[in-house]
Amino acid sequence: MEGNDFGSASAPAVRVTDLTKVYDAEDGEVTALDGISLEIERGTVVGILGPNGAGKTTLIKSILDLVRPTDGDVAVLGADVTAAGGELYRHVSAMLEGARNVYWRLSLRENLRYFTSLQGIDPDEVAEENLAFVESLGLTDKLDEPVNSLSRGMKQKATLACTLARRTDLVFLDEPTLGLDVEASAALVDTFREMVDRDEKTVVLSSHDMDVIEDLCDRVVVLNAGRVVVDDSVSALLDAFRTQSHRLRLAAPLDDVDRAAVAEVAESVSWSGTSDAVELTVTLEAPDDYYRLMRTLESAGATIERAETTTPDLESVFLRVTDRADPPTDELAVGGQR
Amino acid sequence: MNGHAILFRATFEKAVWLLKRYLFNTVMMVVGMYLLFALLFFGGRMMAPTVVSDSTEALVVGYLVWMMAVRAYQQTSSDVTREAQWGTLEQLHLSPYGIGRVVLFTSVVNVLVTLLIGGVILGSMVVTTRTALAIDLVTIVPVAVLTILPVVGVGLCFGGLALLYKRVGQAASLMQLGFIVFLAMPLDAHPLLRFVPLSLGTALLEEAMATGTRLWEFPVPDLLTLLAVAVLYLGGGYLVFKALATRARKRGVLGHY
Repeated sequence: MEGNDFGSASAPAVRVTDLTKVYDAEDGEVTALDGISLEIERGTVVGILGPNGAGKTTLIKSILDLVRPTDGDVAVLGADVTAAGGELYRHVSAMLEGARNVYWRLSLRENLRYFTSLQGIDPDEVAEENLAFVESLGLTDKLDEPVNSLSRGMKQKATLACTLARRTDLVFLDEPTLGLDVEASAALVDTFREMVDRDEKTVVLSSHDMDVIEDLCDRVVVLNAGRVVVDDSVSALLDAFRTQSHRLRLAAPLDDVDRAAVAEVAESVSWSGTSDAVELTVTLEAPDDYYRLMRTLESAGATIERAETTTPDLESVFLRVTDRADPPTDELAVGGQR
Repeated sequence: MNGHAILFRATFEKAVWLLKRYLFNTVMMVVGMYLLFALLFFGGRMMAPTVVSDSTEALVVGYLVWMMAVRAYQQTSSDVTREAQWGTLEQLHLSPYGIGRVVLFTSVVNVLVTLLIGGVILGSMVVTTRTALAIDLVTIVPVAVLTILPVVGVGLCFGGLALLYKRVGQAASLMQLGFIVFLAMPLDAHPLLRFVPLSLGTALLEEAMATGTRLWEFPVPDLLTLLAVAVLYLGGGYLVFKALATRARKRGVLGHY
């Protein structure tokens, strides 16, 4: 097998150091990436989240050497990507534009044959294995239909099959569920999950869809304005916010002075309810603020009928993190890893 | 089978599949090429019967070379734009063989397909004009390939420019007019013309088909010049394409269209 001596066996799958990319635009320069550093361990599934223009695609394309950075270094499996040449692509493949990465006029069988060959692998020798990819994606009866005639979800699965046919250790998936309805997106996520569980691949996934990231990824990197604002495990990130968001039901409404006192303690608070009872949802800056909240309510003479910690989804965490991170500053990093 | 052979086979298969999928387009292209020749031939014979009768061989060979050159050139320069529009261009870059070799192989396959289409058009022209031409494939095929390859090199340059500037169709079309100039100017009067695409090859093809000269009967310097021009233009075009692809990656516009 060619390319076995690529890079270094002990190096992480991806190491990005001080990566900066500045594009020339008509009205001046645009900084897409602003000194990003991160590492991705082998065999992990990492999600890259960020609002439009955060730099997700530029980061992925820089790692793939499809975009040359203005400054900084990218190493894949220990090898500098700008010096690796074609050997890089024996180890890295990508699904970049959802369904548009295959030839729509050709059938899935023809596409599979072409993209396997593009990798230098004889498609006749791996025909059965390729059929297994197709079967696992539920596309066996669509093999000889032009991709053009498939539904959008099936087109994206066909693209995934062609990406898998390249048989690389690292797979990049840029917005793989973009444009899919909820059902098709969930089906594709199931497919990704099976792929991740079955193969020991390193997968880097960028998405706007927080559910996809939450379902699939071990770790999430949140980008905003070209910088890393969060780099932590999905569970730690959710835990960090879970302890800070609470919903309380009070037996009676509070007057304006007491409400103002609660608002002093909380980072944010919302009120709802009737004349008999009132519900408030509070978000606290730090876990210890919960005790201050309780003392404030006690001073106000409030009777707490029910108290619960709310479970944030990644979406609300993401919105809060990116909202707070504009402009990004050091203390905004959650989990302490930047 | 080594990787390059696998890639070449796949490139050929893809070209055939796409020609079949766009069958109507392919047939109309061949018919259109023939009709244009028929128009030139019959129209010319009506207006200047003696001139056309005296130079039928030159007309047939000149049209054949121009038609093949234009197709090979257009395919090469427009392939890059088409792949970008389809969203597959970056996937070609993600090949261990690199986008340069993938596009080069595609161009060579385009030349082969163009030769097949050229054969069909040539047969139709011979039947239409009732001209007796010496069609010795051992001579014609290598000379035709070496004649067209420099044009493919020019096409690669425009393909590379399309990576950067996206819309280069107008400039690329102007180049086709240049091909007519290269074909039409007499080689004897302008010796330097033998170093531009098409000129020397067309003259050799005309001689081979009109007088039956065999490949090994041509002067060796002519054959060497034909070979050198083919290698230089194709190699130069390949290097320019690769340099422009690197430039496109620096600008971050490789997959844009």
